[in-house]
Amino acid sequence: MEDTVLSPSDFVALLNQTLEFAYPAVSIEGELSNFRVSKNRWVYFDLKDELSSVSFFGTVYMLPGPLEDGLVVRAVGSPRLHPRFGFNLNLRSLMPVGEGSLKKAAQLLQAKLQAEGLFAPERKRLLPLAPSRVGLITAANSAAYHDFIKILDERWGGVEVLLADTYVQGDQAPAQIVQAIELLNKLSNLPEVIVITRGGGSVDDLAAFNDERVVRAVAASRVPTLVAVGHEVDISLAELAADVRASTPSNAVQILVPDRGAELAALASVQQALKRGLQNYHQQAIIQLRQDRRNLSELISATLAGETVRLEHLRRLLDLFDPKAALKRGYAIVSRGGQHIKSASQVKTGNALAVQLHDGTIGATVTKVSRG
Amino acid sequence: MAKKPSTKSYAELSAQLAEIMQWFESGDVDLDEALAKYQQAIKLIEQMETYLKNAKNKIKKVSGSSNS
Repeated sequence: MEDTVLSPSDFVALLNQTLEFAYPAVSIEGELSNFRVSKNRWVYFDLKDELSSVSFFGTVYMLPGPLEDGLVVRAVGSPRLHPRFGFNLNLRSLMPVGEGSLKKAAQLLQAKLQAEGLFAPERKRLLPLAPSRVGLITAANSAAYHDFIKILDERWGGVEVLLADTYVQGDQAPAQIVQAIELLNKLSNLPEVIVITRGGGSVDDLAAFNDERVVRAVAASRVPTLVAVGHEVDISLAELAADVRASTPSNAVQILVPDRGAELAALASVQQALKRGLQNYHQQAIIQLRQDRRNLSELISATLAGETVRLEHLRRLLDLFDPKAALKRGYAIVSRGGQHIKSASQVKTGNALAVQLHDGTIGATVTKVSRG
Repeated sequence: MAKKPSTKSYAELSAQLAEIMQWFESGDVDLDEALAKYQQAIKLIEQMETYLKNAKNKIKKVSGSSNS
């Protein structure tokens, strides 16, 4: 090798080829130092232990969220020799490790996203009642998935579950979960809700749910989200960003769909209430009808009574005008040849007259006519 | 003739039923209308019960063939 003379560029190319062959990617765990972000895009930091320090270079898109010096992280990168800046590792992914670092990183991210309003209660949407299409993001071989489906089958039916099978832990998990959320949001026939779930685990296992990319994707989902991570102590940031959170996969199902048995019982009681309602209406209609009949007959009786009184009154009035009544009181009707005599000028001395009294008629002759 | 399964979702059926129940609670007495609404509600309840007793969940994989 000594005999071959290389240019600096040739040497850099040769060394990089060798490095790429020998170490396509390495994982290094160490303490973060000299962490800085340039132009909101480029990331520079060192990972160190007591003796050594290694430089990394990458972009912010590979970070799980805001970081600070002193955190213990695991970085995956490809070693390479930069033509001008020397040796470093090209960052592929990075995750805080250990409870302390994970919690610290989560706190930093929470403060940042809180300030942006990502967790604000007014952002929360209601989940639809008994959705018929549900997006499910989880690991298909996990207990969480089996619990979810088992409880779903027990509780409800008719749901089309659109399963996006992803890793839910490890360094590939965040990107896969983000991709799945985006995929479900792009379907022409959108699901009505997206459930993201996994069972419990250590703080390390749950790191993907405190990853900035995942938290942002949950918050940005057009479809309402339900995030259920099976742990009770700390709530993950993805849960804070979700519209609704559940404590476990089975709890997620309980929130998502009603219970078949309870629903059937509720329907039976609705049916009872309807029957009672209808009977009430029927009863009321009958009562109304009876009342109407009573009112009508009262009205008719009153009309009849009134009419009777009026008739009696008329009859009495009429009696006053009856000439026979006058005869009874002592008056007489005088006639000559069938013609009533109303004036003294109608008769002469010697005329035969009929004098009608109430109980008979007297024949009489005119003996004298005097006027006045 | 075989009964056709309802094409409406459970949520839609449930919303229709709630509307009828509300009408009944509003208290306008019209027996003809009440009878018609009652028949309608009973039909909805039957459809909902059929749904609850027969509907099965379906699972469709939309991604992730790489890690199964």
